[in-house]
Amino acid sequence: MLVNHGQFMVIQAGAPQPPIIQTKPQGVHQMELGADIGRQPYDITGIRRNFRMIENNIEHRRSAAEDPLRMDFLGLAFNSPLVLLSGCVGFGHEYPRIAGFSHTEVGAVCLKGTTLRARLGNPPHRVYETPMGMLNAIGLQNPGARAVVERILPGLDFSATRWIANIAGATVKEYAEVCRVFDDSPIDAIEINISCPNVKEGGMIFGNSPAMSARVVEACRAATRKPLITKLSPNQADIAANARRCIEAGSDGLAVINTLSGMAIDIEHRRPVIGHGQGGLSGPAIKPVALLKVHQVYAVARRHGIPIIGQGGVADWHDAVEFLLAGATAVGIGTALFRDPLVCRKINAGIRDYLSRHGLTRACELTGALNKEV
Amino acid sequence: MPRTEPANLRVEQVRVTAHQRRPGAQHILEFLAPEIAARARPGQFVHIECGPECLLRRPMSILSAQGDKIEILFKQVGHGTGWLAARKVGDSLSLIGPIGNTFQPDTDRPLHLLLGGGVGLPPILFFAEWLHRHGAMPAWVIAGSEVPFPLATRTAHLPLPGMESPRMHSLVRLERSGVANRLASLAGLPGCFTGQVTEPAENLILALDPRDRNRLSLYACGPTPMLRATAALAARYKLPCQLSLEEYMACGIGGCAGCTVKIATATGPAMKRVCVDGPIFEAAEVFPPGPREEERPGSELD
Repeated sequence: MLVNHGQFMVIQAGAPQPPIIQTKPQGVHQMELGADIGRQPYDITGIRRNFRMIENNIEHRRSAAEDPLRMDFLGLAFNSPLVLLSGCVGFGHEYPRIAGFSHTEVGAVCLKGTTLRARLGNPPHRVYETPMGMLNAIGLQNPGARAVVERILPGLDFSATRWIANIAGATVKEYAEVCRVFDDSPIDAIEINISCPNVKEGGMIFGNSPAMSARVVEACRAATRKPLITKLSPNQADIAANARRCIEAGSDGLAVINTLSGMAIDIEHRRPVIGHGQGGLSGPAIKPVALLKVHQVYAVARRHGIPIIGQGGVADWHDAVEFLLAGATAVGIGTALFRDPLVCRKINAGIRDYLSRHGLTRACELTGALNKEV
Repeated sequence: MPRTEPANLRVEQVRVTAHQRRPGAQHILEFLAPEIAARARPGQFVHIECGPECLLRRPMSILSAQGDKIEILFKQVGHGTGWLAARKVGDSLSLIGPIGNTFQPDTDRPLHLLLGGGVGLPPILFFAEWLHRHGAMPAWVIAGSEVPFPLATRTAHLPLPGMESPRMHSLVRLERSGVANRLASLAGLPGCFTGQVTEPAENLILALDPRDRNRLSLYACGPTPMLRATAALAARYKLPCQLSLEEYMACGIGGCAGCTVKIATATGPAMKRVCVDGPIFEAAEVFPPGPREEERPGSELD
């Protein structure tokens, strides 16, 4: 049980699952909202990243004594390196309908992509199975940023996991405005979606241009003090160069990768299967691509101390360990949930076993720990 | 009104206890699934893992749930249903369920006319037998198929308004449950009304006296043209009508918004998830009066 004593969360005696002790500074506006201290963002200062590194070390030492999977990610206490990906788990209310599912098994949950105003999204068909993959073109269906903040966030269990908003817009200004809406909310972090392949404006159009990506990140950086994660598109020539621009523009973390653009055709009716014409490919089919992109981005990100959420086709613990070794600090789980909603528990167990077999005490020791450079 | 069930989903490893192979590549699988069977209601479905080669599960309507067993009825059309069709008694597989809202009998209209077409039959049969078990009779069923019916048929014994022909066939299973039913087919199957299910359904409606017609409600599941015709029939006779829809589906529990359909609401169009907002919707919400969707100007979304 968590008890808030002024500046610190403490563990009540006899609590069955001790949480990580939080020592982060508290933002004034969040205090006014009554948000608990366990999910405060960092006060952004010139020494923000150095401070974070020092605290990471303290945090990791604490975590190691409890669970090798517990970790710090951008100042947020993660229960596990696993992150449920945007677009796969709605706005966080769906998967708890399944007996045995618990958000406590993941480090964070990324909410469905959110724009300033409500969007209906794309016409059917929106999903289609392909060999070991699936195409989707949902089209950012969402109720709008204010509705998410006012009606959805209050229903989320912030004691179970960290919650990350995923934001999108048709213009740089819209990205910044959505960011500002979430800045004034209890959300733990904000993921900038400049890689959605399924909208006509914004999304991947920004994400495939390093200059435009940087402009979006800069605008968001100016609009929030919360940790910013930029979700990069694989549908571009040089993802590492784009990553560098996003880091320089103020992104605290990176999510690598979004879906690959793809298409399926109904040959009897001679038309695209997906209502939007094209969609984004996910699932095990894209894992090798995603793994290489993570490794390429890691070469840039590690020089800046920027953590990566590696994602794309992770189906089991073996895949998760691969992403960690390629350079990811956290691992995104998306399509795999559709096959097995309880997969995260199995992946966690597999990573723990792997760490034990390899004489390691913390999952984060695996990040980028390849024995041979590519 | 259809009603959304509370959070009640189970991931259950189940065992195949019976497999009936029927003409037209149709199969009835029975599973030992106590967790799901105890919770299943008419109109709901299970999301079935279909082997190592299929990334996504397949949604299948529940045909029956009795004791600790459930049945599904499906037609083999692709590699997912192909894998399912190869299951033998004793095999194990994973189900998620029961998912979705349920058919809700209209208490003001105690005469229930149920229309099921092809692989849309299972929820209709489940609902008819459920109505019988709960004493909410009469329930009448018109079943349609273009391939031989997957369930045993014989000459109808129970009377049905507007269908006095002695040579008409019916589903034995439903008659044993006391549910009068008739069959329709465009393929000229013996003992069937030649036409769409909505044609004998209209004959039935016309055979009712005005007082009974005001006590009638419609429920349907089947291919889209059949649902469209059913919605038109309901609108023509001002009957409340619930339709069970299908759409390509990924997660099956509302997380991905991949299975949405456009629904007319009081505040304008909305994209609703077939899996958890449905699969059952009011007919007037799915097929609102006016020009058809593809002919309606400005119908493109976002």
